Amino acid sequence: MTELTPADRRFVTFDLDDTDREEAGLNGHTIEQLSDYLDRGGLPADPSIDDSPDCEIALRGLERLRRAQLSLLERDLKRESLRNDSWVASVLENISLEAHAGREIPLAHSSPTARLVVTEGAVRGILRETGDRLENILVGRCVLVGDVSVPGEPITISVDATVFPGQNIPAVAEQLRQAMYVALGKYTELVVAAIDITVSDLYTAPDASAHEQER
Amino acid sequence: MPGTVREQVASPLDTAADRMLADRAADGDLRAFEVLVRRYGPLMRVYATRVLGSNDETDDVVQESFITAWQQLGRLEDGNAVKSWLMRIVSRKSIDRLRVRRQHVNIDDTDAPAPERTAPHALAEVESQTEALARVLAALPEDQRRCWTLREIAEYSYGDIAAELNLPTSTVRGLLARARKTLLREMEEWR
Repeated sequence: MTELTPADRRFVTFDLDDTDREEAGLNGHTIEQLSDYLDRGGLPADPSIDDSPDCEIALRGLERLRRAQLSLLERDLKRESLRNDSWVASVLENISLEAHAGREIPLAHSSPTARLVVTEGAVRGILRETGDRLENILVGRCVLVGDVSVPGEPITISVDATVFPGQNIPAVAEQLRQAMYVALGKYTELVVAAIDITVSDLYTAPDASAHEQER
Repeated sequence: MPGTVREQVASPLDTAADRMLADRAADGDLRAFEVLVRRYGPLMRVYATRVLGSNDETDDVVQESFITAWQQLGRLEDGNAVKSWLMRIVSRKSIDRLRVRRQHVNIDDTDAPAPERTAPHALAEVESQTEALARVLAALPEDQRRCWTLREIAEYSYGDIAAELNLPTSTVRGLLARARKTLLREMEEWR
């Protein structure tokens, strides 16, 4: 099994268990070493590999394997991407929205025996949607800082946002802040001392290949 | 309260960065989570199918993975790492499946599915190499295929694979070397 077949330039059909024979057929190297060498882009150059015809043939085999690996992954990803959407629906139907409800925020009610609350998750949802209704900004994480369970206790809100390129960031942030104050006043009784908006990122305009499965 | 699939309207969210989506999903935004499901679900499905050796259980494993992800997103510190975090979840779920399966049946009986047929490729030769690889991969012994898939699709380091499979790194190295040689040899034979 361990003979060169020079006629069609195939490399050693090595013994899977015998490293000595593998090294004998590859100028003292192993397939693993050659694979690492390929991973490193052939750097630093190793003449004992570069100048060995046996290694060269093995490296070509490894490259071919790598290409096949890549095109197999592409093929499989394409097939999965073309599947009908029912699996997405099935995933979403099976998750519990309550997982992210967070703390309960009391609301006043005329009846002393009634207890009304709005969840922290719902308030974050209001803040996000307020942002989504504006142009040129996307709202990320929203954190309610302070004891929301005590009515009238001032809290602050910290918001992470991404702004679209070419915008006046302070102006867009101020617009968002005002819209959030309005929305909070409409749907909650929270006393908001401040809304801190951090623009942590610029939205990268999508191009055709953006966010394909990279590899 | 179950979520529902929203209407397909183009939204900036569809092309938002991973971190933005992960942060929003951690805050309970189902729409952002759906974008992540669509973005990484296919890769997770490919991964699970490869590790499990068939796609009978892929739906279940990927679904369970996303349910876990939804529940635990709040603990993901860096939203930029959501892809590898999801791959880690699907990898654990797939391996759990294999363990359960092993308790019930002889693993050899469920191994080696027939490679699936797909639309013709522009490059016939590339396609045939691809088909050959799919066949050889499916026929690898389970432990080798698991290591190979963790390495090649989930992009794990040797150390990560060892930790995940509870094996010494040297064993992982050996399994990967063996898998690589088998793949090389089989592809040479096929050529």
